[in-house]
Amino acid sequence: MGWLFLFLGLPLILLLTLPLINMTTQPSAAMLKQTIMDKDVTAAIARSLLLSLSAAGLAFIMGTPLAYLLARKELPGKKLLEGIIDLPIMIPHPVIGIAILSLAGRNHPIGRFLSEAGIQIMGTKTGIICVLLFVGLPFYINTVKSGFDNVPIRLENASRTLGAGAFATFARITFPLTWRHMILGIIMCTARAISEFGAIVIVAYHPMTAPVMIYERFTAFGLKYSQPIAVWLILISFVLFVFLRMMTRSIHTDTR
Amino acid sequence: MIALKHICLTLPEFSLTDICLEVHPHDFFALIGPTGSGKSLLLEGIMGIMPFTSGSLIFEDTDITRVPVEKRPLALVYQDFALFPHLDVTQNILYGAGYHHISKLEARQRFDYLISALGLEKIVLRFPYNLSGGEKQRVALARSLILNPKVLLLDEPLSALDPVFHDEARSLLKKVHKDLNMTIIMVSHNFEEVLYLANRGAIIKDGKIMQQGSIQTLFEKPDSRFTAQFVGMKNIVSFEPHGQTLRIAGTRLDIVTETPPDPDHHHLGVRPENILLNPSASPVCQNYFSGTITGISPYGVFTRVHLDLKGMAFEAIWPKTFIKEFDLDTGKPVSVGFHPESVHTF
Repeated sequence: MGWLFLFLGLPLILLLTLPLINMTTQPSAAMLKQTIMDKDVTAAIARSLLLSLSAAGLAFIMGTPLAYLLARKELPGKKLLEGIIDLPIMIPHPVIGIAILSLAGRNHPIGRFLSEAGIQIMGTKTGIICVLLFVGLPFYINTVKSGFDNVPIRLENASRTLGAGAFATFARITFPLTWRHMILGIIMCTARAISEFGAIVIVAYHPMTAPVMIYERFTAFGLKYSQPIAVWLILISFVLFVFLRMMTRSIHTDTR
Repeated sequence: MIALKHICLTLPEFSLTDICLEVHPHDFFALIGPTGSGKSLLLEGIMGIMPFTSGSLIFEDTDITRVPVEKRPLALVYQDFALFPHLDVTQNILYGAGYHHISKLEARQRFDYLISALGLEKIVLRFPYNLSGGEKQRVALARSLILNPKVLLLDEPLSALDPVFHDEARSLLKKVHKDLNMTIIMVSHNFEEVLYLANRGAIIKDGKIMQQGSIQTLFEKPDSRFTAQFVGMKNIVSFEPHGQTLRIAGTRLDIVTETPPDPDHHHLGVRPENILLNPSASPVCQNYFSGTITGISPYGVFTRVHLDLKGMAFEAIWPKTFIKEFDLDTGKPVSVGFHPESVHTF
């Protein structure tokens, strides 16, 4: 049966690997080296990484309490809230960009308020982080919520009965049992954010992130000049996902 | 020591209704009831995990109904012990010491005493996933006892243990209660373990207290059919007064009791272990019947014998040796009886 399943799964594996292998093997080593020496390219990749990690950091700070609430409390409209959190996965990403822009524009009270507060969304790193948080948040919240779901509420109650308050219980029981899920959530959120293009290109074409630069080089100079940047981005994403898989394995090991 | 006054706790699909209980100092108090009766919920309410909807919880003349869980002078040992999986045995036991302002020296002394008293010396560095059920229970007990709680709450303390650990764990609980002279409130659905451990108790059904008092009273003088059945009383039938005796409804069987029943009593019961075989040997046995054996089934180290006494189904529990000694078998005639003091009315 194993061979039959492998036979059926093989086209999928080829679909995933062939285009990537083909693309990563096409640029010469010299071209790859030359690309990574290009300061614009390294700046774009570093920007993608840093802004994605910043978005993941914000997801960690603000998303963790929300994930905890969703896992532990029976809130009115909880299903609706969960649906809203999942929305960015389904919405076409240019639509996300347009939605954020329309909110942050001068025609909207929120946009005017932000502008008066000196916060610019369009064409800024703030705008990019906002977009990346939007698209990455479902991945963080859902991963961390499943971590909280795995911690029996009895353990938290037991801690309270032994004298620990709610915050001490979170710090000494809940956090140590879920930190791996939080790291996993940060990786998922970062990985998702690094690959974002559709929404960023609308909110902030500049400063340029790696996916926008790949698009620009492709439209301006053709495939040959966009491929090496894509290869570097794929390599970085690959490293992240290998790390992700290793983390997942260690989570399974811990819940024996 | 602890008094529950008209406690109600309402959940979407279940509620505790008008619970009034009193637990005295040094009691080993059992909350007894079938699964789903609300006894564990009541225990969580006393601990403060589930807030009561109304009523008051008085502890040593102080109303602690609204006191947060962590501030209550109580400790709870969960049915599955709820040990923290990421902490070793030592860290688990010492977990609460800091919150109760116990100095490090004092905590260490109590720790040393408890691991010695509970036989945990060899496992102090182990993690919970490496412990047997009995070891987990002792660690959970030590984790609560190190805080010197005024009242210890136990949620079904024996039900998660393999039978092989049962007797040992039961004796340990008895020893802890005796040695530390503490008040314990235990939830259980097993009347046998309650008989062994507790001195007082209450029987709960559908979120209501059915009866409370000394365990002996609950055992011997149940005041309702439910309680009677729950404490293992069998042979429950309705009766009508018939002169100085009680006539079992729908039969011509007359039962002699030690004292006349209360006028509002309409049922009687006889514990199966109080049914005597061949009672002619006992001159004081005034309730004497002949009948037929309808079935014999094993009952642990005893045998359960089903009897038909002139159309009335009775059940007796006798030693296994009786089967051979008296040549008992299904379909064979038999003479049985019981003393008037074995008849309980309600």
